[in-house]
Amino acid sequence: MAFLEMRGVDKRYGGVVALDDASLSAERGEVHGLLGANGSGKSTLNKILTGVVAPDRASIEVDGADTRIDRPQDAHHRGISAVFQELSLVPDLSVTANIVLAFESTRLGFVQRRRDRERAAALLERFAPAFHGNTLPLQAPVGSLSPGEQQIVEIAKAIAREPDILVLDEATASLYSAQVEVVSAVVRELRAAGALVLFTSHRLGEIYDLCDRATVLRNGAVAGAVELAETTEAELVELMVGSVTAPAQEVVEGRGAASLEAARDVPRLEVEGLTTDRLQDISCRVAAGEVLGLGGLAGQGQSALLNALFGAVRIRGGSVTIDGQPALPRRPKQAVDHGIALVPGNRGREGLFPVRPILENLTVPSMRGRARFGVLSDAAERAAAVRAGEQLQIKYGSLDDGVMTLSGGNQQKVVVGKWLLTDPRVVLLDDPTKGIDVRAKAELYEVITALTEQGVAVLLNSSDDDELLALSHRVLVFFEGRVVSELSGNELTRDRLVADSLQVAAT
Amino acid sequence: MKTPTLPPTTTLLRDARTWLLQGRLPITTAIALLLATLFANLVVADNFLTAFNIRSIFANVIPLAAVAVGQTVIVLGRGIDLSIGVIATLSSVVTVSVVEPWGLPAALLAGLATGAACGLVNGLLVAIVRLQPIVATFATSFVWAGLALYVLPPGTAAAPRMPDVIVLGYRDTLLGIPNAAWLLLLIGLSWLVLKRTRLLRHVYAVGGDEQAAFATGVRVARVQVLTYVIGGAYAAIGSFAMLANSGSADALAGGGLTLASIAALVIGGTRLSGGAGGAGGTIIGVLVLQLLTSLLVALRPPTDVRQLIDGLLVILALALAGLWSGRRRGR
Ligand SMILES: Nc1ncnc2c1ncn2[C@@H]1O[C@H](COP(=O)(O)OP(=O)(O)OP(=O)(O)O)[C@@H](O)[C@H]1O
Ligand SMILES: [Mg+2]
Repeated sequence: MAFLEMRGVDKRYGGVVALDDASLSAERGEVHGLLGANGSGKSTLNKILTGVVAPDRASIEVDGADTRIDRPQDAHHRGISAVFQELSLVPDLSVTANIVLAFESTRLGFVQRRRDRERAAALLERFAPAFHGNTLPLQAPVGSLSPGEQQIVEIAKAIAREPDILVLDEATASLYSAQVEVVSAVVRELRAAGALVLFTSHRLGEIYDLCDRATVLRNGAVAGAVELAETTEAELVELMVGSVTAPAQEVVEGRGAASLEAARDVPRLEVEGLTTDRLQDISCRVAAGEVLGLGGLAGQGQSALLNALFGAVRIRGGSVTIDGQPALPRRPKQAVDHGIALVPGNRGREGLFPVRPILENLTVPSMRGRARFGVLSDAAERAAAVRAGEQLQIKYGSLDDGVMTLSGGNQQKVVVGKWLLTDPRVVLLDDPTKGIDVRAKAELYEVITALTEQGVAVLLNSSDDDELLALSHRVLVFFEGRVVSELSGNELTRDRLVADSLQVAAT
Repeated sequence: MKTPTLPPTTTLLRDARTWLLQGRLPITTAIALLLATLFANLVVADNFLTAFNIRSIFANVIPLAAVAVGQTVIVLGRGIDLSIGVIATLSSVVTVSVVEPWGLPAALLAGLATGAACGLVNGLLVAIVRLQPIVATFATSFVWAGLALYVLPPGTAAAPRMPDVIVLGYRDTLLGIPNAAWLLLLIGLSWLVLKRTRLLRHVYAVGGDEQAAFATGVRVARVQVLTYVIGGAYAAIGSFAMLANSGSADALAGGGLTLASIAALVIGGTRLSGGAGGAGGTIIGVLVLQLLTSLLVALRPPTDVRQLIDGLLVILALALAGLWSGRRRGR
């Protein structure tokens, strides 16, 4: 009898079967991978274990005892805590208040703030290496932190509960490698102390690095439970998606770099001396059909450049031209009119209308092109949405369902899909593959290739260095809001990228 | 998006954002409005600075201040109570009806219990039965109004009155400061105490992100019910001030307090969708509304434009708040 036994777990959402007789069995002192493609039911299983979602049927045993988990408090009492994929932070509350939420130190019903602050500070100390030794501001509202910082707060919050069972649902998706290292160290510590960690990630490297065993879900059912030491990557991927998919490198092989050289004389997008609050004097040219990668440590201005080109931040100086026409956007609407599309990294806040149906989320940016005399035809809207859905293989129940009913990875595909429908000239991708599975990644890479073949200029920011190197023709390396080097041709290697990202960091 | 490592340049930006997120910018607006209305009163009304006038301004402001602080607690938890003014009415007629037979302390307790009970009903309808707060409390407001008319039919020959000590004491001064001003201070202090409780922390959490609070183990329904109970209790306290101010109760008064309480909290920087703000700003908002009223009295416009003004102010304040958060997103 294992420490945690989940058996016969069923969950339906209307017509969508999220889990179908799923099961999971794991021991103390183990890091157990929970793997599967987007929409395979990983988050649903995690939420059932933590009492956030009520299953249609489930039997859960912890430490040999039948355990009813009807509410999050029940899970908490059983020593189960979780890092949720969509995070469970309250943006207006401070970092401290979030970490201690629902188990504040109190005296006579009053919160002992100093005590809580000390607890939070001690906890965040462990994560200081993730921020070059700085600790996070304890008093700042969580909403003012970057996505990566918020992710760390969410992890600290889960660990603060000193769990016996810790669920990490894509906890590393918005972290860069040095931060992942810090989290991995904490996970290993917990394992050594006898806790069970359930680890969900789409990055196979992390899984092999951390996990001992793994349960693989496919369409809500268990496709297999494996010892990772005895399983190859190909076998694992096959368990997840049913057939082996081409890795990123193959997709981009044989790209005609020579023809690009010629095209570069007439740039599709030209940026001169662009300056904003966070960017200093950025210049670059991107040819039609070229993918320009934006590299460097996280948050050195890559996203800021994409946002500036999309008119989402105030531009202090410089010029932007598209096909020789001035195209400096003051507002996103102008950017869209110039044929610029942005796929943002923070899909929850920037990319989706959370309460609106999938259909609308897909078609809103491109509606104007299809309207006749200002009137939209329902059939045309649906056809367009279905086309985008097929192109990206979005897994949904009905187009009329709310977009938040989709799994995390499928939401991300909607964010990408809605801009593809606008037939853009310049596409800005801000970490587009965050949280999407291997197959969807390969599909997205194909979409990017298709875009370049149509002559679209692509700017790609990615937290995944391998992806950046595989997809980009050239990479600009950012540091503190400036471009510190440009890599192309045979300089385009992992070593150069890492070296250039860090070289200036010595200051 | 990648994780920013914090280059020093961004800390300034972060501070600015922090500032806005905590809703301090709206508070400066409230303070500016307070100064403006104060100044306008000084210019327009030559009797403004008389002791009598100042005393009556404070005397008139307490009912709304108490009700609006109660409404603030409810709104912070992502609710709203459209019956809160009528709860004050019901509580006042109950209190005044039993003050003669039962004595003052018991009557005040009865009033407080009435307010809290009405709040409990509202809270259960919203958090357990899961009706829309606007619909549920709009409906109950008619129930409370009906009950108030039943307890104290208007035009009763010998309408019960509050004891004279209360009425006279309310307009008296202590250490040269009007007693009503001391009461306002007490209401403010009660908020500062409340704010430090675990319950209020959870109210902010539920208002800020209900789903996150639930997943973290906050008992969302319980917290929401309690906000309505607290709101009802504050309404009862407001009703005592109404009674002390006029000596008797009117089963038809109090309704206007609801809209005014919402106007006050919006002016004071509380976010209508919950999770941000606080009763400190609300009290400033209440003072602004009161000063506007006395300005109107001084200008002698057609009677009872007060509700019109309150309505316009809510819309104006919401529009301004929207503009601000819009700018914030555009940063
Ligand atoms: N609240 C909901 N309403 C309707 N359907 C839902 C809801 N939540 C999840 N689903 C559906 O259940 C299925 C499983 O979703 P789940 O979030 O568990 O997937 P996942 O394995 O975590 O995927 P990802 O890797 O993309 O995060 C999906 O098809 C999803 O659309
Ligand atoms: Mg998921």
